[in-house]
Amino acid sequence: MTAGGRRLPTSLRRSAFAIVALALAFVILAPLTSIDAAQQAGLPLLTDKLWFRIATTVLMFVVMASGWNIIGGLTGYASFGNVAFFGLGAYTAGVLVSNLNWPFALGLLLAPVVAAVFALIVGIPLLRLRGHYFAVATLGVGVAVGEVVNNVVPLGASTGLYLPIVRSDLIFFYLMLGAAVLAVLTTWVILRTRFGYGLLAIRENEEAAAVIGVNTTFYKVAAFCIAAALTGLAGGIFAQWNSFINQENVFAISDNVQMILMAVIGGAGTVLGPVAGAISLELVIQTLAGGGTSSVYSQIGLGVLLAVCVIFIPRGVIDFFGGRSRLSLRYFRQTLRETSA
Amino acid sequence: MSLLTVSDVSKRFGGVNALAGVTFAVDQGDVLGIIGPNGAGKTTLLNCISGLYRPDAGDIRWETASIRGLAPYRIARLGIGRTFQIVRPFPSMTVRENTAMGALFGRPGARLQPGAALNEADTVLDVVGLGEKRDYPVLRLTVPDRKRLEVARALAMRPRLLLLDEVMAGLNQVEIEQALEMVRRVRDSGVTIVLIEHVMKVIVGVCKRALVLNFGRTLVEGPPAEVLKDRRVIEAYLGQRYARDQEGPLPDPPPQAGEGNAK
Repeated sequence: MTAGGRRLPTSLRRSAFAIVALALAFVILAPLTSIDAAQQAGLPLLTDKLWFRIATTVLMFVVMASGWNIIGGLTGYASFGNVAFFGLGAYTAGVLVSNLNWPFALGLLLAPVVAAVFALIVGIPLLRLRGHYFAVATLGVGVAVGEVVNNVVPLGASTGLYLPIVRSDLIFFYLMLGAAVLAVLTTWVILRTRFGYGLLAIRENEEAAAVIGVNTTFYKVAAFCIAAALTGLAGGIFAQWNSFINQENVFAISDNVQMILMAVIGGAGTVLGPVAGAISLELVIQTLAGGGTSSVYSQIGLGVLLAVCVIFIPRGVIDFFGGRSRLSLRYFRQTLRETSA
Repeated sequence: MSLLTVSDVSKRFGGVNALAGVTFAVDQGDVLGIIGPNGAGKTTLLNCISGLYRPDAGDIRWETASIRGLAPYRIARLGIGRTFQIVRPFPSMTVRENTAMGALFGRPGARLQPGAALNEADTVLDVVGLGEKRDYPVLRLTVPDRKRLEVARALAMRPRLLLLDEVMAGLNQVEIEQALEMVRRVRDSGVTIVLIEHVMKVIVGVCKRALVLNFGRTLVEGPPAEVLKDRRVIEAYLGQRYARDQEGPLPDPPPQAGEGNAK
């Protein structure tokens, strides 16, 4: 019972699959060449500091975009406050490790829990709103939580919070990879269960969902909490990875916009859309930043990209490459017609 | 004991009394038609029963228990299915998937898995005559088919009571006949039906009783043929002068469906 379009020819699909599998294997195994033992064995070093930084950042956005996708893509509630979960996760780990001297592993376990509990508390009233009202209200929550944290002295106030530095690119890369796999698996499982169909029904028509027996309030709040837990987990890992957190780097509204862009460009409501979106968009952003262009141009570039994507491939790049006749005017016309009803 | 008892239900929107004390009961196996001019409160009444609105006053009972103010999903799982006048399908899903959603969520008791729900959908789609189009995306369906899909999704819940909100509106004569046939099949399968309809042919054709609403109140209730001849009903639809000119009851036979679609 999954929405399936016509697929690519088998040969093309096979080679596409092979390429993706190779790329995945490289990304997963390449970091191992940085281990001392591997270096002593004379293996070439395939990953440097920059590689780790970019790869871990990409994975972090895979988690955030997938998390957003669960509430925004599957349930149809475009949250502009998910970054609050990231920040809360980061500060949970940060406070426990830095102020209370907990081991990082324990702090990291609590990060998603705190984020989910917060989602439960704000979700019950906020998820009564719809559309733009929900978007604006969540934006308010996102900004407000950041401001509160910025003014609470035990949380470091505006100075921020320092965590003991852990020098291991490898650990954080694999932690983030684990979180990304968890996020994708969660989405995959949700889409195959009764719960997932309930979320889709809410997205497509909430009143119709209610009168056929979907407990809409429970489903929406549960989806919000799952999204929050995943995002909070990414925040917790980020706190220790970056070893410094403040309002600006963990409560940035621009991060929230970015996770939405990634999910939407990749294909909101699909399992792999947010992954594709996060990888492609983050690489574009890194390239623009690395190419010496000022951030103004990269912002303009992102804006234009979003506009083009929303108009011409509103179902995301996953649908664009995954189904029907690709790259044809017919595809653009058909999606335009079907999505502008 | 009646299946559904609506007693003295009122609903206000600002200064408008959409419902001002409506009372009626539906027995097991009944087919009750609700008619009335536009704005009489018919859809508001359905929304109160299915839980989308909470009545301001009065009570709604399902067998013996009050369901007033219950969440819509709870009312649905008690066995009350409904359709919407303006159809509300799940647009990204196929006809089959849309129907399966009713079976997946609306059943009281046992929970179906998605696969079982899809099989259930196939059975229901044959009843409403959409079997051939089960794999269509909803957006490819015509208006009459979309109305059928509304019925199919509600039927997949295996409701004991089905609330139909103008499933015949906008259909032509042939389509009305087909839809009427479908409603009869549903009735014969043992489902109690409350239907809102402007097409009088339908009211006369399947309803045991008819209830006329006007300005949120019950105007007349009784067998359809008598109700349609009632002077108060004619006044409500066509105005006092017309009723006076006709001097009493309308001549037989009752108006044809097309003309009876008094808007």
